[in-house]
Amino acid sequence: MAVYNRERFLDQLAGRLGRPRKTTADRPAYSVQPQERVFQGADQDQLLGKLKEQCEIIHTSLVETTFDELGDTLRRVWEEGHIQNIVSAGGPRLEAYGLLDVYETMRQEGYNIHIWDEQGGRDYVAEAEKAGAGVVFSDVTLAESGTVTLFNDRWNGRSISLLPETFVAIIPKSTLVPRMTQAAQIIHEQEKKGVPVSSCVSFITGPSNSADIEMNLIVGVHGPVKATYILVDDKEG
Amino acid sequence: MNVSLFITCLCDTFTPDVGKDTVQLLERFGCEVDFPAGQTCCGQPAYNSGYTTQSKQAVKQMITAFEASEYVVGPSGSCVQMIKEYPNILKDEPEWQKRAEHLVGRTYELTQFIVDVLQVEDVHSTFQGTATYHPSCHMTRLLGVKDAPRRLLENVEGLTLVDLPQGEDCCGFGGTFAVKNAAISAQMVEEKSCHVTATTAEYLIGGDMGCLMNIGGRLSRNEEDVKVLHIAQVLNSQ
Amino acid sequence: MSIKIGTKTYADRIQEGIDNTFMRSAVSSAQGRFRTGRLKAAEELGDWEDWRTLGEEIRRHTMENLDYYLYQLSEQVEKRGGTVFFAETAEEANAYVQKVAAEKQARKVVKSKSMVTEEIGLNEALEKSGCEVVESDLGEWILQLDEDPPSHIVTPALHKNKSQIRETFVSKKGYTKTDDPEELAAFAREQLRQDFLEADIGVTGCNFAVAESGSVTLVTNEGNARMVSTLPDTQIAVMGMERIVPTWEELEVLVSLLTRAAVGQKLTSYITSLTGTRLEDEVDGPEDFHLVIIDNGRSKILGTEFQSALHCIRCAACINVCPVYRHVGGHSYNSIYPGPIGAVLTPLLDGYEDHKELPYASSLCAACTEACPVKIPLHEHLIRHREIIVEKEQKTTKAERLAMDGFAKWASSPAAYKLSTKMAGTVLKPWTKDGMIKKGPGPMKAWTEARDFPAPAKKSFRTWFDEREKRREKDGRL
Repeated sequence: MAVYNRERFLDQLAGRLGRPRKTTADRPAYSVQPQERVFQGADQDQLLGKLKEQCEIIHTSLVETTFDELGDTLRRVWEEGHIQNIVSAGGPRLEAYGLLDVYETMRQEGYNIHIWDEQGGRDYVAEAEKAGAGVVFSDVTLAESGTVTLFNDRWNGRSISLLPETFVAIIPKSTLVPRMTQAAQIIHEQEKKGVPVSSCVSFITGPSNSADIEMNLIVGVHGPVKATYILVDDKEG
Repeated sequence: MNVSLFITCLCDTFTPDVGKDTVQLLERFGCEVDFPAGQTCCGQPAYNSGYTTQSKQAVKQMITAFEASEYVVGPSGSCVQMIKEYPNILKDEPEWQKRAEHLVGRTYELTQFIVDVLQVEDVHSTFQGTATYHPSCHMTRLLGVKDAPRRLLENVEGLTLVDLPQGEDCCGFGGTFAVKNAAISAQMVEEKSCHVTATTAEYLIGGDMGCLMNIGGRLSRNEEDVKVLHIAQVLNSQ
Repeated sequence: MSIKIGTKTYADRIQEGIDNTFMRSAVSSAQGRFRTGRLKAAEELGDWEDWRTLGEEIRRHTMENLDYYLYQLSEQVEKRGGTVFFAETAEEANAYVQKVAAEKQARKVVKSKSMVTEEIGLNEALEKSGCEVVESDLGEWILQLDEDPPSHIVTPALHKNKSQIRETFVSKKGYTKTDDPEELAAFAREQLRQDFLEADIGVTGCNFAVAESGSVTLVTNEGNARMVSTLPDTQIAVMGMERIVPTWEELEVLVSLLTRAAVGQKLTSYITSLTGTRLEDEVDGPEDFHLVIIDNGRSKILGTEFQSALHCIRCAACINVCPVYRHVGGHSYNSIYPGPIGAVLTPLLDGYEDHKELPYASSLCAACTEACPVKIPLHEHLIRHREIIVEKEQKTTKAERLAMDGFAKWASSPAAYKLSTKMAGTVLKPWTKDGMIKKGPGPMKAWTEARDFPAPAKKSFRTWFDEREKRREKDGRL
């Protein structure tokens, strides 16, 4: 932890800008704010409609389910994908969504399920590398782009959403917002309050892809090849 | 309404007919057209090549020539746009800059003048044939004249307009670019010519003589039958 | 590698580009797709001009306060356990990365796509100190295996076709399957996955750093940047000093502009914001994080008329609409930054001596300026470059200067001008046939290589107008 050569470097910049070093800067009132107008006033159902449309474009299947049927829905995803090894984010939401019990039942049925937490150490990265699917909870969901925002932490390792071939995101309906604007505002407000941002914020939009070979879209390059979003209506729950 | 014609050096020297049509067109709508004889070239060939000092001599000549004009109208988006650059070119000479700004405020490209100032969208002309229109870069992107030529052409009786594929692409003229980077320019004008002939239109219409000389020159080299016309010629056709 | 990618002359490069039929058709169809994608994305978003205005305002404010925001960024990174190294030159930056690699006794370094590391030649530096360096972006990996420079800043291997790529994989990596892009990509996935798992150090670029939180944001589709920042224990992010925004609110706007302008996507598959080291209770992500902030000539641009060139967010929209780029391809620019932004930036970063032709490689059609999501007046910068090349650097030919002096005299003297309009036809008569000149003399020769030149009219417009006025006066008097 250190900062090298800063003073010399920044003095030079100030010199080029023809003024003394600045010790503060006021962000200007920008003349336009088009980002606020996107889907302004849309309710959760309208946002869900937008999310569905976008999922078609980003090669992602979207399954709607209820609180009670979440376990069955997950099981169907495993069955359809012939998936036996699963790595899942842990933390309080697992219990809140009743998934601890669901996972326990699944284990008895023969599934290998690893629930991420710091106790597992680097071994969990190896488990994620072997897993067929990784399950995470979306922290903020962006309707416009079909994006799952993850504030990665000790329960939600970066590897879960990255290494397995199938990426499964459980999206509580209440996490839907119009677009990245709102997610950025949440983080900005936290920063202002002195709550530091998570060490890794991942905005994930569908499976990985590339167009580097003759501009052909190839779905599934380094990251997941398949993406499934499971939308849970968490209003009644 | 008194209008001073800014003929542009290309029209003056190579296509005086475009000038005649412009004069007649403006007169049909009640303009008194004069021709300040002090005008020469707008200075763009030097300015765009980096010879700002040299271009200033042309620029000052033009400012002087049009000093007394009420309106200045030219049949070229590119040359008119060059006049719009004058205040910027003369930023170090405040006296001249002021005179340049005065000129800028009164200068219009021909179709822009007809539509925006004369408030005419139908010039009651008749022209038989199928044509495609090349929207030149400086007219559309820099001067911002996009709709006026199209609206005027759409109202010409007998004229069928067909879309030019990738019409917004540059034809490769670019003033001295055509000579300095002749190999690249040649590829660009060939591509443009192919798009023109692909429309099977009988005529190619444009609002800038530079582009038209370039595309027309390539079409002629390729022995294509497409005839090239300046928009003033079509709008003044009866 | 450095900014400059080769030693061939400008004329040779241009001709090679023009003669490369596959490359030209690939570039042309890619441009078509990029253009459609960008326009569609902009239209879907709505208010595109407002977005561009906002983008420009954000970039301008950030550049004007760059010293402050870089200070804030470095403070935040340090607070989050990272180390920040400010490097004035490429050499300083490379030496620092080499030092970190030596301390870690690193053998293998995986990289995600980063133009600035190309610019400073980081790979060569690391290889010199004994590290194996693996590019993990699919396009970059192909180029690395083939020892070929990038020709585009977003899709670096745009100039290669799938059978060339297959051959490279066969000869360099023992690939045995077909040239089907899916199979080629699957092979890359399998090969590179091992590299990610084995690597000691991950090197990334930085699309945007966020000053308020000390975050480094990476915009990708393949997921390789996530691999590079998740698996190795040490991460080094390298950023050009201008790639920064004040807060997350500005980040969001620029990311929205970038993904649309670059590839027509609302967001790319992965937008990843990394802040410092992994926390103590986290198990993946780097335990050691370094941010290298690079000047390498950029500060010379600050405070000049070219300052807005530093606003560039590397989306390549200008490249994707440029007709010159379409016909000559990226390598013709002899710079890792091709196209209009390359023609503006390269002479600023690397001097006019080797790049004096670039500002002229444009018809000034302004398609670039119109496409730029942060409203950089690219074509105007090209004119400013030309002015400097003529007036300060004096790198033009004597013949051209004489011609332009002649132009100035001609255009400032109505009498000389009038005479020339009268004489032009006579002078060119020997070359004129049926009203056209097919093989012209002097500077006209270059024009008539590809097209005919019209013969000057027998009577100029001004003569006609004069005569008409005289006639009218006479008629009036009668």
